[in-house]
Amino acid sequence: MILVVLEHDGQRLRKGALEAISRARQLSTLGPIAGVVIGENTQAVAQEAAQYLPTVYAAEVGGYTAEKWAEAAYTAVQKSGAQVVVVTGSRQSRTWTARLAYKMKAGLMEDTLETSTDGQHIIGLRYSFLNRVTEKQKAALPVVFTAKPNTTPPAEPAGSGTVEVLEVNLPLTVEVLERLSEQKKGVSLSEATVVVTGGRGLGSPEAFATVEELAGALGAAVGATRAVVDAGWRPYSEQVGQTGKTVQPNLYIALAVSGAVQHQAGMNKSKYIVAVNKDAEAPIFKIADYGIVGDVHQVLPALVDAAKKLKD
Amino acid sequence: MKFIAVIRQVPDGESRLKIEGGKVDLSGATMILDQMDEWAVEEVIRLQEKHGGESVVVALGPERFEEAIRTALAMGIDRAIHLVAEGYTDPITQAQALAEVIRAEAPTLVFTGGQQADWDAQALGPALAEALGWPVVSWTTMIELEGQTHAKARHDLDEGAELVRVPLPAVFTSQQGLNEPRYPTLPGIMKAKRKELKKLPMSVGSKVEILEQTIQEKSRLNKMLDGKDPVAAAHELIRLLHEEAKVI
Repeated sequence: MILVVLEHDGQRLRKGALEAISRARQLSTLGPIAGVVIGENTQAVAQEAAQYLPTVYAAEVGGYTAEKWAEAAYTAVQKSGAQVVVVTGSRQSRTWTARLAYKMKAGLMEDTLETSTDGQHIIGLRYSFLNRVTEKQKAALPVVFTAKPNTTPPAEPAGSGTVEVLEVNLPLTVEVLERLSEQKKGVSLSEATVVVTGGRGLGSPEAFATVEELAGALGAAVGATRAVVDAGWRPYSEQVGQTGKTVQPNLYIALAVSGAVQHQAGMNKSKYIVAVNKDAEAPIFKIADYGIVGDVHQVLPALVDAAKKLKD
Repeated sequence: MKFIAVIRQVPDGESRLKIEGGKVDLSGATMILDQMDEWAVEEVIRLQEKHGGESVVVALGPERFEEAIRTALAMGIDRAIHLVAEGYTDPITQAQALAEVIRAEAPTLVFTGGQQADWDAQALGPALAEALGWPVVSWTTMIELEGQTHAKARHDLDEGAELVRVPLPAVFTSQQGLNEPRYPTLPGIMKAKRKELKKLPMSVGSKVEILEQTIQEKSRLNKMLDGKDPVAAAHELIRLLHEEAKVI
């Protein structure tokens, strides 16, 4: 049995949840697949999930804490007898899956690119050493793994399953006092297929309005470099790099980003990389597929125009 | 009060990596105290400066880790415990071994890095919390103690951040913005040589085996467009992304 923990936004399944279902289906020799929806409004989301999976548990546990998510997933593991747990990779899931793996005495593989099985083990491929090394790992069942976003096509619906309410004994440990910023409306940075990142070379926080405009025209998420978030121009949640997020979109556009190793650690595996920088020697050009050597203040508005024309 | 930082030694991101016999060979790399662990060390020292008590570093890894441990001691940590183990051990198994030692120390809280720069793993802190039966706050950017029993902390989520109150003891993992680590001073480095460093040899095994490591540089098109005419370059770029790369 395989269990997929289905990430959602309180209304709909996230794209990452559908990618996780695809990963689980690739391991179907290990038995049937069940899903669990954890959080708020879970029954409605579980109904959507039942178009993909024969059994979906709904664990109504309220707002996020790592302890609650780990306990709810563990309850679903015990109920389903799952030997493998699959979740889309994110900061939050990579926190609570560590707790879950410990509870299950399972091997844990974080942010896998590919996964397969020989019946007794999971064999996974992932990056390590700041995204510079590709590593093949093997662990005996039970195994918990997170699937790196954008590495697997989203699953297609397959019939109609049943929804079952899952009772969870909640640990009450962390008390959330205040949400400091709302869930962002646009595309999530980790899941986005296009990311537009601005660097310090943009010169001011105001210049990001044009970055947002370009992102809007391309259906992209906005990213930022460490220097930009350290300067307080953009929130930490937008940072791409070693201490920020690791993204692997189809298209990564780096605007006035020099491309330090620490930044590359967060984006060097993107399918296509575009760089705009006035310094032709900037390291970012070495890993770019397309580059424009020029003044970002002139190139960026022209890119917005061209992108808008393309959409019209 | 007692504050513990769990640290690791990793290759500097700037240093070149080589592959030997299908595995990463670190013999030529510059090894450093993991940057995210350095924030954990700094925070533990600040907590001790503010609230008194003791600061301790705990590390699980090969002999070479001693250098990183001495860096933490030179920054101002009081003493160290080094679980000496060779070879790869996954974070979950490490958490189990570390938890035994940490439980015996009965600390007020434990701090460690949000992600380790060698494994690219985020599991160590939360797995340690599970092993100890304590709550975890990951990606912490601010912490304040409320007496002996609770802490208030700000931490990052996937989107945005939140302020939480957590009962102690608890495990915290670091995030950029938490603090600006101090440099070890010369007297600090001299003093560190005399500080207690307890070594406990162990054999811990691993639930996860690394079969092979490779370095795969993706070949890039490196098509450069002249930005002297920004409008023409921008339109050409958008056309290439649409027609050639087919990504927009």
